[in-house]
Amino acid sequence: MGVKIKGGYQAELIDSILVDKYFYKVEEPVSEKWIFFDTFDWRLFNKSLTLHQSGQQLTLRRLTYGDSIESIKWTSRPVFAWDFPDGSFRKRLESITQARAVLMLGEVHTQSRTYRVLNTDLKTVARLVYTQVWSQPDINSPLLGEYIILQPVRGYPRYEQQLTKELEEIGHTTSIIEDIYTSAIKKSRIKPGSYSPKLGLRFDPSMRSDEAMKTIFLRLLKIMRANEAGITADVDTEFLHDYRIAIRRTRSALSQTKNVFPRDITNRFKRDFASMGQISNSLRDLDVYLLSEGSYRLMLPEVMKDDIHPLFIYLQGQRTLALKDVIRYLESEDYLQILQRWEVFIDNSKSDIYDEINSALPVIDLARKQIYTQYRRVVRDGNYILEHTQDELLHLLRIESKKLRYLMEIFAGLFPRKKITRLIKQLKILQDNLGEFNDLAVQQEQLLEFASEIPVSDKPSKMALVATGYLVETMARRQRIVKAGFAKTFTTFSSKNNQGLYRELFKYIDSGSDS
Amino acid sequence: MTTMALYSNKGGVGKTATAVNLAYLAANSGKSTLICDLDPQSSTTYYFRVKPKLKRGARGFLKPGKPIQRSIKGTDFEMLDLLPADFTHRNLDIRFNGLRHRKYRLDIVLKTYRKEYDLIILDCPPTINILAENIFNTADLLLVPLIPTTLSMRTHEHLMTFLRGKRYDHKRVFAFFSMVDGRKKMHHEIIPLFLNQFDGVLRSQIPYLSLVEKMGIYRAPVPVYAPKSRATEAYQTLWHEISQHLFISD
Repeated sequence: MGVKIKGGYQAELIDSILVDKYFYKVEEPVSEKWIFFDTFDWRLFNKSLTLHQSGQQLTLRRLTYGDSIESIKWTSRPVFAWDFPDGSFRKRLESITQARAVLMLGEVHTQSRTYRVLNTDLKTVARLVYTQVWSQPDINSPLLGEYIILQPVRGYPRYEQQLTKELEEIGHTTSIIEDIYTSAIKKSRIKPGSYSPKLGLRFDPSMRSDEAMKTIFLRLLKIMRANEAGITADVDTEFLHDYRIAIRRTRSALSQTKNVFPRDITNRFKRDFASMGQISNSLRDLDVYLLSEGSYRLMLPEVMKDDIHPLFIYLQGQRTLALKDVIRYLESEDYLQILQRWEVFIDNSKSDIYDEINSALPVIDLARKQIYTQYRRVVRDGNYILEHTQDELLHLLRIESKKLRYLMEIFAGLFPRKKITRLIKQLKILQDNLGEFNDLAVQQEQLLEFASEIPVSDKPSKMALVATGYLVETMARRQRIVKAGFAKTFTTFSSKNNQGLYRELFKYIDSGSDS
Repeated sequence: MTTMALYSNKGGVGKTATAVNLAYLAANSGKSTLICDLDPQSSTTYYFRVKPKLKRGARGFLKPGKPIQRSIKGTDFEMLDLLPADFTHRNLDIRFNGLRHRKYRLDIVLKTYRKEYDLIILDCPPTINILAENIFNTADLLLVPLIPTTLSMRTHEHLMTFLRGKRYDHKRVFAFFSMVDGRKKMHHEIIPLFLNQFDGVLRSQIPYLSLVEKMGIYRAPVPVYAPKSRATEAYQTLWHEISQHLFISD
């Protein structure tokens, strides 16, 4: 519990609460710098959490209640959850930030003076901490806030109650951590939650399709551009990941919305975005391999666990090269020109009126038509696979379901949130099965390919080859299990119930226009 | 997460002083710590300036629930809480005998706190009755202070035989030399004999220092009132050594 006070520090203020009523002892003031962190996509903020470093302590707190959830002694700058020692702090942070780095949001400077409230045994029974917060280390700079924080001591509830009452009389209660966090961030001129890789678009269902599609394209372009700096600075792998998803969604939207824009225009941009995506294929693949080192180690028997390491050193080297290629591309004239052309095209203010068949179609109809057609395609293809299982067909089905997923996500804002979220979740289960099957297939091939590239000159690289062989074998076994699981996953996906829901949400009733 | 018992079936060997100082150092290193005073003499409780009283006395202590929950007191130090002793602890063994799971009662009581704290330290009275068995059944690690005398050697041998008889894993037992007096010839002679005869004897030693005895005057752990003393250094070394056995995964 704490109160925010106004009007400059008056030592008498706290003294007036304590004197005559309690024994107390004042400690030396402590000056600290508080640095706040979050991931680029605000994962902590979105869960109402803050991570801050002060003194030698790194603390994860709830933003509104201010209570500490996990804390660890940590003096260097925190970056990835996996940098921390095994334990509850790491586990908690890893479940939230995953592969994302935490970035500095802002800092404030504080000075705190603790008043220890004592009982007759001179035992501490509560603490009042008077804290002042500045934006600069200089205490003559403007004050951002002043607080008195009550820190109760366990087992002495009566003191807590009394002091709470007395504090409420001199200031207004507030969430102090949130207050300080807001001050720190305001100083850095960033807005919490300002970036999200989600589309989060809501539009009027009757909007013209060409106009709506351009709004979607613009949002995707913004996501791409927001991630460029993070890719170039190589902060974490998720900048590239979000960037690529935005490209793929753009491509998917371009090809799934036939007859909204003239074909020659869409074809040209489809080619542009395809090449844009291709440039970073190998970097993303390498990221995925490097991120899975841990799970690869788990697949190996104890004696071989370390043998695989040379492979990752090799991949790390390859990644450095791949990153250079991507950065060079992002800075190239080609790339800038494509984006410029694209920006001109999607600018709604210069609204070109198209007269393709679907240009003026209300966006809700376009969405229904596309999603439902794509859904039926997935069901049809899946049913065929149930009878003729071929690896190649599973791969194709994976691509078709991915297209369906993108369509549903792009247009999600047009449909009741609960229902569409449920359908997306179900689709995701199917995609996970197909995705794992495909990943395992690709990884087996890729690993063998990498293995053939590693120069075998010494014992470690020979051991790495043996370990790779073992991995490929384990993956092949796992792949068979995943494949066996397809039938059940798909049957759930294509169940009557689910089909009914798709029909209810997406069935497009043709009102006479050509389609 | 981990429970360590400061245990010896001999009195006056430095159990309480060690429990208090290690608990302080543990909390100071960032481990949330609970120290439980099981000794009816309640010295640990006294050192932390807390009244030796449990809600509902021994009856409240023997059942997990609100009374014991409310009995826990925060100490003067962050991350360090205390479960005080109570005079009724003198009959703890008799009470255990009257209950079901009588040898696991303490484990049942402490289970709630294993999640809440990184470390639980038990300060035990010198007994080898059913309370001791309760302690052996809940502690992940026993830390036994040894004064380097022939009598201590005998007692330690008794303890190890007892544990072997009860099939306790003797690898969980660690001992260290306590109240070592550099001026006494016997202390110098006994230490190598001990090391020869027993496994799990730590390298760290706590010397005999009057500064440690002053804990009763200051009513605080040694590192608080004498942070730069030899005594503090000795406890720090001991904490460093034992914590490597306590938090293996860290």
